[in-house]
Amino acid sequence: MPKIQLDPLGVVIELATGASINDALFAHGVEFPCGAKGRCRGCRVRVTEGAAPMSAADQKVFSDEELATGWRLACTMRATSDLRLQLAAYTAPVLADETAFTFTPRDGLGIAIDLGTTTLVAQLLDLSTGAVLAVRSGLNPQAVHGADLMSRLDKATQEGGLDELAVQIHQALAELIAGFADERHPLERVQRAVVVGNTAMHHLFARRNCDSLARYPFESSEMDLSEHRADELGWPLPPATPVFMLPDLGGYVGSDLLAGILATRLHESEHPVALLDLGTNGEVVLGDRHGIQVTSTAAGPAFEGAGIQQGMRASTGAIHACSVHGGVPSYQVIGGGAARGICGSGLVDIVATCLDLGLVEASGRMAHGVKTIPLRDEVVLDQTDIRQLQLAKGAIAGGLAVLLARRGLEPKDLGRVYLAGAFGNYVNQSAGCRIGLLTAPPEHITTAGNTALLGAKLALFEDDLAFTAIRSLVSHVSLKADMEFQDRYVEAMSF
Amino acid sequence: MADLDSLKEAVISGDANTAKAVTEAAVAEGIDVQVIVSDYLIPAMDEVGRRFEANEYFVPELLIGARAMKTSMAVLKPLLADSGVKPVAKVAIGTVKGDLHDIGKNLVASMLEGGGFEIVDLGVDVSPEQFIQSVQESGVAIICMSALLTTTMGSMKDTIQALNAAGLRDKVQVMIGGAPITQQYANEIGADGYSDNASAAVSCARKLAKVA
Repeated sequence: MPKIQLDPLGVVIELATGASINDALFAHGVEFPCGAKGRCRGCRVRVTEGAAPMSAADQKVFSDEELATGWRLACTMRATSDLRLQLAAYTAPVLADETAFTFTPRDGLGIAIDLGTTTLVAQLLDLSTGAVLAVRSGLNPQAVHGADLMSRLDKATQEGGLDELAVQIHQALAELIAGFADERHPLERVQRAVVVGNTAMHHLFARRNCDSLARYPFESSEMDLSEHRADELGWPLPPATPVFMLPDLGGYVGSDLLAGILATRLHESEHPVALLDLGTNGEVVLGDRHGIQVTSTAAGPAFEGAGIQQGMRASTGAIHACSVHGGVPSYQVIGGGAARGICGSGLVDIVATCLDLGLVEASGRMAHGVKTIPLRDEVVLDQTDIRQLQLAKGAIAGGLAVLLARRGLEPKDLGRVYLAGAFGNYVNQSAGCRIGLLTAPPEHITTAGNTALLGAKLALFEDDLAFTAIRSLVSHVSLKADMEFQDRYVEAMSF
Repeated sequence: MADLDSLKEAVISGDANTAKAVTEAAVAEGIDVQVIVSDYLIPAMDEVGRRFEANEYFVPELLIGARAMKTSMAVLKPLLADSGVKPVAKVAIGTVKGDLHDIGKNLVASMLEGGGFEIVDLGVDVSPEQFIQSVQESGVAIICMSALLTTTMGSMKDTIQALNAAGLRDKVQVMIGGAPITQQYANEIGADGYSDNASAAVSCARKLAKVA
């Protein structure tokens, strides 16, 4: 079995001979902006040891010089022999909109952290060059108290709960940072760390009282930047190293979306643009340099493949795409083997195809009185799966519709719609449009990757981390008990 | 002659305009309002509920069906009051204290109304005291509580305890529902009924009101 070393991750993976390396890289945070179709350069890697054959796609997207220096697309690469790969996704200078971000170099190193409800990602940066030196990812250990935000907040409002959750997350991040030292990076040179996450994560990290977030009014008065010291957090850095968690925007919309605004430069846009973070807690940002509205909407776990009868995460065995040839659908499986289930992006693709083929009606009901549609191998689409998807996409599209209506805009008025997060990166955009998850014209939709982490990196170079100017543009819109949202939510549930 | 079967059909398919027109025509012809309600509207909403439970209908169809039923009821309500027709039972419904989510609560209220119940909608963020007040002042027979969050469902228990303390627990039936709620939780806090969807809530309420 070929062994493949991944730099700068410091990880060696073993794959079956001839296996595609996509899945393994995806598990390590490499993103495939074009959906692993060999069309963009987002997943490019440089072969530094060993030899990898060139694919047709490689010859199309790389110059002769790049090919000669070992550049290949990960998405068309197969494991044929031992290799050492440098992942461009991690070594490239900080990028925004595919263009190098201009930053003011600083001395020393910095750490950017995306503190997610489910996953944690930390990157070590050289602040003089903007290059990412190392990356570590892990799972949020608070998940033992429940996968969703509310169960964490519930725990936090019980006696001793807040402390327990805070210590858990501080320790988990300390371990990620310690991982940088294992790679012999000089952590004594770290000057600062920036953490972003949703409002609940911020409250748990900074030990803020969660009572008013856990129940009515679902808002907190403590939304500001919080400043900590590495020694207070137990992090293996010089004791006085400042650790900043960026300010939240309102309601549950936290600094991860502030980071998203920074990463997409939404606050500088002349015309209205939208940023959608498609997750269990969906977040919608709409704005331009004159004003920004943000909201969050509970989409449920369908986009992550959960709550689906045969749902699974986007890993080997998941049906992740679907195409039609001569009126007959065929289903693509991650890893190419037998289908074991359906992931979120697969569900969107499958339902879009079924709508086109008349197998599912506009109401979401399966045609011809059936309750399941066989897909491939033992995997079937269940009627209730479509219902889950309707709830999820209705929440996102309904949330955006409310924000648009408040500004007297229509979806076509949006100059650009950025999709953030892993699902946003993977979802087939035309299928997303077909099912009504995405309502803007397809040519206006752009995948933006992990904008939370990107924004955190950009913030490492900023002096004023309170972001007063951006925050003064932002207003938070609560959709709870909003009659207009209910109407639009229900409208957006149909196809 | 007003075609009342088309009224039933209009509610099932969510056609509010037809529902209103047929109802008005029927009333103009002097058809007994109680017949319109019990022989056509209630069976129509029962059919909507049946299709929902069979997964043929989803939330949007349930809502447009309820909307069509309500436009018809709006025509009939003033006449019903005059005719002395009694509702199945009076129900107070609300989203519990600390919680603002009311899509599910509104759906249940519409379905119950379609099922012949009289509804006192207490809205959202409803305190135990407000539920108690509804029993004391409006004489409701059933209290329906909704909660969408694990952090707010505890308020259901508070309400039941407050009913006990006020000596009202045996005067009223308590029904609960919402995403985090289970039959087990209902048993735990001593609620009389639980249902996991809006349609089943109607049969549950009928059972509690001892009419089904």
